[in-house]
Amino acid sequence: MLFRIARSKDGETISHYDQYKVEVKEGMTVLDALFQIQDKMDPSLSFRYSCRGAVCGSCAMLIDKIPRLACKTQLSTLKRDDKKNEMNLEPFPALVEAPNGWSPSDEVLVEPLPNLPLLKDLVVDMCRFYETLEKLKLWIDIEKGTEYRNQSPEERKRIDRLVNCIMCALCYGSCPINAENEDYLGPAALAKSWRFFDDSRTPNPDRFLKDAKGESGAPLCELIMNCVRVCPKGVAPGGAIRKIKEAE
Amino acid sequence: MTLKHDVLVIGAGLSGLRAAIELAEDTDVAVITKVHPLRSHSVAAQGGINAALSKDDSWEQHAFDTIKGSDYLADQDIVETLTKRAPQTVIENERWGTAFSRTEDGELAQRPFGGAMYPRTCYAADKTGHNLLHTTYEQAMRKGIKFYEEWYVTSLVREDERICGLTALEISTGEIHGFVAKAIIIATGGFGRVYGKSTNSLINTGDGCALALRIGASLKDMEFVQFHPTTLYGSNILITEGARGEGGHLLNSEDERFMERYAPEQMELAPRDIVARSIRKEIEKGRGIEDEYVHLDIRHLGEEKIKSRLPGIREICRNFAGIDPIDEPIPVQPGQHYSMGGIHCDGTGATSISGLFSVGETSCMSVHGANRLGGNSLLETLVFGPIVAQAALEYIENASFADSSCVEDIAFRDRSKLQAMVVRSEGESPNILRKEMKKTMDNLVGVYRSQEDLEEALRTIRNLRERFEKISIGPTDIRFNYSLIRTLELENMLLLAEIITMGALMRRESRGAHWRSDYPERDDSEFLKHSLFTLMESGAIKTEYIDVTLGKFEVKERKY
Ligand SMILES: Cc1cc2nc3c(=O)[nH]c(=O)nc-3n(C[C@H](O)[C@H](O)[C@H](O)COP(=O)(O)OP(=O)(O)OC[C@H]3O[C@@H](n4cnc5c(N)ncnc54)[C@H](O)[C@@H]3O)c2cc1C
Ligand code: SF4
Ligand code: FES
Repeated sequence: MLFRIARSKDGETISHYDQYKVEVKEGMTVLDALFQIQDKMDPSLSFRYSCRGAVCGSCAMLIDKIPRLACKTQLSTLKRDDKKNEMNLEPFPALVEAPNGWSPSDEVLVEPLPNLPLLKDLVVDMCRFYETLEKLKLWIDIEKGTEYRNQSPEERKRIDRLVNCIMCALCYGSCPINAENEDYLGPAALAKSWRFFDDSRTPNPDRFLKDAKGESGAPLCELIMNCVRVCPKGVAPGGAIRKIKEAE
Repeated sequence: MTLKHDVLVIGAGLSGLRAAIELAEDTDVAVITKVHPLRSHSVAAQGGINAALSKDDSWEQHAFDTIKGSDYLADQDIVETLTKRAPQTVIENERWGTAFSRTEDGELAQRPFGGAMYPRTCYAADKTGHNLLHTTYEQAMRKGIKFYEEWYVTSLVREDERICGLTALEISTGEIHGFVAKAIIIATGGFGRVYGKSTNSLINTGDGCALALRIGASLKDMEFVQFHPTTLYGSNILITEGARGEGGHLLNSEDERFMERYAPEQMELAPRDIVARSIRKEIEKGRGIEDEYVHLDIRHLGEEKIKSRLPGIREICRNFAGIDPIDEPIPVQPGQHYSMGGIHCDGTGATSISGLFSVGETSCMSVHGANRLGGNSLLETLVFGPIVAQAALEYIENASFADSSCVEDIAFRDRSKLQAMVVRSEGESPNILRKEMKKTMDNLVGVYRSQEDLEEALRTIRNLRERFEKISIGPTDIRFNYSLIRTLELENMLLLAEIITMGALMRRESRGAHWRSDYPERDDSEFLKHSLFTLMESGAIKTEYIDVTLGKFEVKERKY
C-alpha cells in the first residue's frame, strides 16, 4: 500500500511529502504502518503514540483528509469505494487542499492534525488545546467529607457519553471555527464543561455553564457538527454545546 | 541549563499524579513524563478498583484474597495497609468526580473479580482507568502542578549513598538537561513491552527499573510476570476480566467450558495465572482454534447488558477484530499483562538509596507477590501515592541540594553517549534486536517455563545485549527523535529481559504466575522468598533471596 506522508523538519508548515510503500498484514492499522516506516524505511519520521488501542488519545492526525486516530484506523477500511469513509464534513482549507500529485484512489495521505501549530512531521503543538481545560477550570472544587455521594443510574447516564472523552483533539482539529479563530475554546472543553454542569454531584455547577457561555465559548459555535462526526468515542460534543446554548 | 526542584516525580500515571498532588501544597514538586499525563498507561485500565465497601465484606477478607492470590509471596503488613485504606481511597476519588457505575439505589456498584470471594471491584463501566486518570489529572491541574511533559529521563544521579538528581532528554528540542533534587519518586509503570504479546501501552518499557538498577538500587521478584488469560487474538488488546465477571464463558474448539477441568468451583473466575495456564493447556492439547486461541463467549449476557456494562469491550472487538460480541464469540489468548516485580522498596517506597523512592507498578513493596489480583493495582497506585509522598516529604526536611556539578557531569556523559549513538552509520537496526527480544520472551519466558528454554533465552538475550553496543539507528533529526527514544527504551528492556530470565531460571519451583514445567510444585522450604537483583560495578548481576514478611494469614496450599 502506498503512503504519502507530510514532512516538516522545523515545524510551522509542511515542507514536502514523502512516499513509502508499506507491506500490509491482516489487521494492520495506520499506526502500525507508521511504525513500519520508522523501523524499516525512515527513522526520522516523527509521530506520537502510546496505547495503540484508541484509549489514550495520542495519535490524532489527518488521514485521507479526515481527522482520525491512527491506531483506530484499519488499513482495510481505507481505499474502499463504499460510502463508509465519507463523513460529510463541512470543509475548510486543511480538509480540502490536497498536495500535488496525490492519488486519492490508491495512496493513503497522512498529515498533521489541523488547527494546531505544527512542530515536526505529524506532531502538533497541543498546548492551546490543553490550556482550554485550565481556562475553564475543568475540575471539581472538592468539598470536605468522608462518604461517597449517591448518584442514580439515570443521573450517571446523563454524563455517560461525555466522560468518555479521551482529549484526543480530533474535534478541535475538525472544527471550521477553530480553523478561523484561535480563541475559540473548541468542542472538547465545552463538552467537558457540560459534563460537570450536568453531573448531579457537582458542588457549584453554575460556574461551568457560565464560563462555557462566555465570549470564547458556546456563542462562537455555529453547530456545524464536524466534531460529532469525527469523535472516536461517541462523545457528541456538538450536542452538549447545543444544550449550553439553550440553557438559561 | 540545570533545573532544580525539591522533589521530582518521574511519571504521570495514577501513582505519579497522586504522589504529586499530595506534595503540591507543602513543597516544590515537579513531574517529569515522557508522554502527556493523559497518555499514561493508567488510562487503559478497564475492569476496576477493589475496596471492601460493603457491610458483608471486610479489609481482612480483601487481605486474605490478596495474599492467597499472591501465592503467599506478598508482604502481609503492606497488604494490610493496601486493603485497610482501600475504601477511603475509592471514596476520595469519587469525591474528586470520578463517574463510577452505580447500583439501582445510587450506591457504588461492585462486580466480582477473579480470586476474590466477594464482589468488591468498583468500576466506571469498563473504562475505570480512563475515568480515574482523567479525574486525578484534573485535580493535579487544580493544584497547578509543574509538569515537564514529553521529557524522557535518561539517568538518575547519585552522590555517595543518596540521590542528587537526574538527567532528561527534552523530546521537542533533543537536548539533555540536568535536574537537581532532594528526593526523587519513580512512578514509571511496568515493563510489559519486553514481551511482544502484551496488553500494555507501547511506552511501558520499564525505564524506571533500569534507571534505578544502574545506580545501584535493587530490583525484586522480576520473574513474576502476569499473563492475562484473555487478550484479543491479533493485537493482544485486553479483554477485561470484567467480561468474565459479568458472566462470560470460556469455550474451546469443542464448545466446551473447559475451566471445569481446572478450577471446578471458581470456573472462569479463578485467578489469572490459573486461567491463563488452562487456556494454554487447551491449545497445546489441540483444543484451541487455529492452534492459537480459544473463545470468550458473552453472547448470552444479551445486547443490553453488553452495551451498558461492557461498552469498551464491544468497541475494541469491533475496531480491532471486526466482530460484534453481541453476535459472535471473542477470540482470545493469554498475553503479558502486569509486572509484579520492580524496584525493591519498603512500604513507604524507600529504596536502598537515600531520597530515592518508588511507587506504582514500577515498584515492588510487595503487595502482589507472585500474582496480582485484578483491581488491586489501580488501588496500589492511589493508596501508596500519598504514603510515598509523605515519606519523601519527611526525608527532605533534613536533606539539602547537592552541588549541581554532579548532575552536569552525568548530563555531559549522556550527551556524548547519545551523540555517538545517532552518528553511528553502520550496524544492525535496533528494530531487529527488539523483535528478537520479544519473540524470545514470548516463546521461552512465557506462561510455561523450563530450564532448557530459559537457558536458551538467557544466551539469546545476552547476545542481543552485546549486539546492541553496535547498532545503528539510521539518519534521524534532533527534534522529536522517537527512533532514538525507542532505542533507549530497548536498551532498558534488554537489561530487564536478562534479569527476568535469570530470576525465572533461579526459581526452581512453581508459584503464582511463575510456572516451571520441570518443577511444577511450590517449594516453600526453599523459595518462600523474594528474589533480589543488584547490578555490580563489574556489570555482573548479583542475585540473592530475602525473606517475605508473613503475618496472621497462614501459608497454605492455593486451591480454587
Ligand atoms: C490493559 C490493562 C488494563 C488494566 N486494568 C486494570 C484494572 O482494571 N484494575 C487494576 O487494578 N489494574 C489494571 N491494570 C494495571 C494498572 O493499569 C497499572 O498497574 C497502573 O495503571 C500503573 O500505574 P502507574 O502510575 O504505576 O504507571 P503508568 O500509568 O504506566 O504511568 C507511567 C508513567 O511514567 C512515565 N515514564 C515512564 N518512563 C519514563 C521516562 N523514561 N521518562 C519520563 N517519564 C517516564 C510515563 O510517561 C507515564 O506517565 C491494567 C493494565 C493493563 C495493561
Ligand atoms: S470530544 Fe471526542 S474528538 Fe473531541 S477530544 Fe474528546 S474524544 Fe476526542
Ligand atoms: S495510540 Fe492511543 S489513541 Fe492511538
